[in-house]
This record gives sequence, structure tokens and C-alpha cells, in this order.
Amino acid sequence: MFTEVKTHLKLILKYFTFNLSALTEYRTSFLVQVFGMALNNASFAFFWWVLFDRLGTGIGGYGFTDVMFLWAVASTGFGLSHVFFANANRISGMIITGELDTYLLQPKNPLINSISARMSVTAWGDVIYGIVLMALIKASGMMWVMFGISIFTAALLITSIAVAGHSLTFYFGNMEAVGRTLWEFTITFSIYPETIFKGPVKALIMTAVPIGFITHVPLRLVRNFSWGTLLLLFGVTLAYALFAFILYMKGLRKYESGNLIVTRM
Amino acid sequence: MAAIVLENLSKTYRVKVRGEGLKNAIKSLVRPDYREVEAVRNISFSVNEGEMLAFIGPNGAGKSTTIKMLTGILHPTGGSMNVLGYNPVKDRRRLSYNIGAVFGQKSQLSFHLPPVDSFRLLSSVYEIEKSAYESRLKRLADLLELNEFLDTPVRKLSLGQRVRCEFAASLLHAPKILFLDEPTIGLDVVVKHRIRDLIIKLNKEENTTVFLTSHDAGDVENLCRRAIVIDHGTVALDMPVKKLKYDYLNKKVVSLKLNESAGIPEPPGVELIKKTPYAVKFSVDTRIAPISKILAMLDAGNIADITIEEPPMEDIIEAIYMGKREGG
Repeated sequence: MFTEVKTHLKLILKYFTFNLSALTEYRTSFLVQVFGMALNNASFAFFWWVLFDRLGTGIGGYGFTDVMFLWAVASTGFGLSHVFFANANRISGMIITGELDTYLLQPKNPLINSISARMSVTAWGDVIYGIVLMALIKASGMMWVMFGISIFTAALLITSIAVAGHSLTFYFGNMEAVGRTLWEFTITFSIYPETIFKGPVKALIMTAVPIGFITHVPLRLVRNFSWGTLLLLFGVTLAYALFAFILYMKGLRKYESGNLIVTRM
Repeated sequence: MAAIVLENLSKTYRVKVRGEGLKNAIKSLVRPDYREVEAVRNISFSVNEGEMLAFIGPNGAGKSTTIKMLTGILHPTGGSMNVLGYNPVKDRRRLSYNIGAVFGQKSQLSFHLPPVDSFRLLSSVYEIEKSAYESRLKRLADLLELNEFLDTPVRKLSLGQRVRCEFAASLLHAPKILFLDEPTIGLDVVVKHRIRDLIIKLNKEENTTVFLTSHDAGDVENLCRRAIVIDHGTVALDMPVKKLKYDYLNKKVVSLKLNESAGIPEPPGVELIKKTPYAVKFSVDTRIAPISKILAMLDAGNIADITIEEPPMEDIIEAIYMGKREGG
């Protein structure tokens, strides 16, 4: 078990350096896309700033800094997920076109192997943006600590949600749209104050699709730290990752491959 | 010793069936109908270590499905298989260290990077030691003449160069069995020959078992001693290529362009396919009429152009089925 984890961590790191050198193949495009994404995100922060400025009060008990903390964690967490596992969002496509064949021929776990094989360029913009945002809002020490922890749990959760959603393709045929919607749902819900979600929606984002643990629980920890909540954050993250992994591996038995001509981009 | 053993292997796909139009589309959404498609039906055979086997059949016969089951990509619905002592379903990862595959339609190389980068990545996927990797790469690069473009991004390579790199990628970990699914599709003659030479060399020097599907009669003829013909998911024929060749590969198709309108001699064994005033196409049964004898009978001064072709593999396969049907 331990050597398995070590082997696959090594593989993820290998893909990371490999993909990074692929991105620098197109240096100008790389830089334009990275800064373009950072700028794109910055425009949202500007709107929030205008909103809070006009209102003069908080929204649902959230101040401007709080909302920006959500943004920073979501942005960097999302960025890390797409820097390391950009293919997680392409799982449905890989299943349908038969692209998975290539990974199944190799002596590694097909899930880890396939999702780490690609890196998103713009995701670097998201990673950087979150960090810059933290600096701009003059985040407190506690905020920085929680940021440092939660970007990793966020990245893992975002990846796991994508894996779980797209794995349904194994069971029910093309679920690409479902996977994509889930992904947009994840982003949208993680950048708005927790308090605006009530009833069944709140129940959903705290359980089956644990979006609430991406940014909201970390913010709770910033406001009111407790070891129990921190452990809960770790526990839920790991449990959900395991759930997504099992869902995928069980689905793999139903894989039917395909004969589309496939190039690895 | 047997490298591959299949016993009553079968694979059934469940396919959604749906009538035309919106009404049926909605119906299938609410209550889908399924039909079972048997891609592979109870096939059994074995391949010995070091053997080169041609696994041929028309499109949709079940060739790729069989290869995908043997390599652990697909799970069979029934029967059993054993590849190098492993069960591909249960021991997929352990098996994959020992097998290599080139699928003409799929690429292992990263499109934007030079092949050497992909090779290095594969060496860590297969956990090949650095020194072993370097000497292996050197050997493959020499054999396939890759040195010129090892550092050129794959997107800038020609198809021939890319396929040679695909071969190198699949052979880096020195597999004991090489599965080839249409590996020479779309390649020019020179590249085809180079790849065939490589396969023969690996088979001789490393005793690599080769499991080949191809629609190229030349691949089958030049590489394999035994051929299995599969149709509708069942084994239709299992015989030495020599016999297959004797029975079915004995036809040449000759196309002539003529300076002046003229007929051609039609001795036994020659069959006219098409004739226009300045062009003639005919087939020659070389068992009855050797090609040299036929050419000697033509008026060389009147020939503007000549092509001699082997009938496509499809025709041979068709002939096999026709023969089987006629034979009972």
C-alpha cells in the first residue's frame, strides 16, 4: 500500500515536470493565457468590491475580506487541481473515445495515470491569482495558515467531484454534460457566502457533493478555529476522494473502449 | 511453451436500440431497449512463445476486441485467457510490464513535445532503470533510424516518422509479446519495410511473440507463419500462411495503359476485369499462369504504363469465406 502511494506520487510529479516543459514549448501563449486568466478573475473581485462599497454593510454576515478569502481558496485550489489533474474534467470524453486504452496498457493505476497526464495552462493564472488576492486583502496570519492547508483539500475535493461526476459515464453512457454542470456548480457555489444557501441545497453541498468543504469550512476555521472542524475537513476530503476512486474503479469494469483516432495533446 | 492461451473467450456488448424520430427518442429515454451484440463468440486458440501470428478478418470481426481483452483493456463476458501466465483481468498491471502494443489509431506520444521527452516519461511509467533505458533507446533509435528527429516536436513529424516513434515507445520496456493492431495503416512502402525488418529482428534476437492484425497482405505474408481468420466473432480458419497464400494469395491484378487500342491474350488463368480502348485490367492466377509468362506474351511496344498489384486483403478474406461457403 505504502509503496503504491509512493510510486503514484512519483508519477504525478513526473507528469508535472513533463507537462510544464510542454507548456513552455509555446512560451508567449503560456504567459498570455496565465495573465489573461488572472486578469479575468480580478474583474470579479472588482465587482465584489464595488458591491460591498455601495452596501456599506456585510452580506449574510460576510465582509469583503471574507468573500475574497473564499475566492482566493477557490481560485488557487481550482488552479492546483487543473495544474496537476487537468484530465479529471475530460474523463467522460476519454471513456467514450477509447482514449483510456493507452493508460490501461500501462502498469499504473489508470485513474491517477490518466488524470495527471495533462496540465491546464490557464490554471496557473488561477493559482497565482489566489495568492495575489491574499496579499492584496492583507490577510491575517490565521488566514494564511488556513489558506495554505485548504488549497490542498480544495484541490483534492474539486478533483474528486469531477472524477465522481464523470465516472457516471461508465454506468449510464455519456455523462459529459453532467460532469461539466457539476463542475460549474462547484465553482459557483464555492465563491458565494455560505449563509445564502439554505435547506436542501445546503444539505447537498455538505454531503453528496461536498462543495461546502472547499471554501466555507476553511473560512469557518479562520473565524472560529477548532481541531474537530479541521479533522472533519481532512476526513471528508479523504473519504470523498476514496469514494470517487472506488466509483471510477468499479465503473472501469464496464469500460467498452472505442476506436476513434486519438492523439495525446 | 504457450505465451497466449484463450479458451471459449467471449465478449458481449449491450447496445441501446432506438427507433427513428423524436417519439422513439423520448421513449428510449424513459424505457431504453437493449440489444446484445456478440463481438467475440467462444474463441479458443493458443500462441506459442516466439511465434508471429496474423490475426485477420474483415472490419468488425472482433479482432480489436480480442486484442483489447488480451491486453487487459476490456473485461471478457465469458471464457478464460492466460497471457504469459497472467490473467489480464486480474493481473493487468503486472502483465503490462511484459507486453507492448501499437494501435495504428492511438498514440502514446505527446503531440507538442519531441519524442525523446515522451520516451523519458514512459521510462518512468514502466520504471526502467536509467542505464537500461539509455541503451535500449539507442538500440531502437538505430534500428528505426530515429536519431535525426528525436528532438523534433511530434506535431512536426511525418506519419512515417511518428509511427516509427510509436514503435520505439512500445518497445522501450522490452516486451515479451508485441500486439500490433493495424500498425502500418497509411504508411509508404519504405517505412512499411523498415518496420517489418524491425519486427523480424526483434523476433529473432529477443524471441518476441508477435500478435498482428493487418489488412495489408504484405505484412501477413512477410511476417507471419501462421494466420487465424476471424469472422463474426468466431475463428473461421487457423492455418499456416504458406497454405493461405497457396490457396488465396495466388492472384495478381495487372493494369495496363496502352498506346494503341488492342486486346490482350487470354490464356487459362487470366481473367479480364475491365477494358476500355486504352486501358486493360485483368487478374492472373499465378498457380496456372506464372506472371513472367503472361508479361512475355504482351506487346511491350504498345504499353504506356503497367501496374501489378496483389489483391487487397479484403478480397482474400472474401475469397476465404466464399471458399468456406462453397465447401459447405
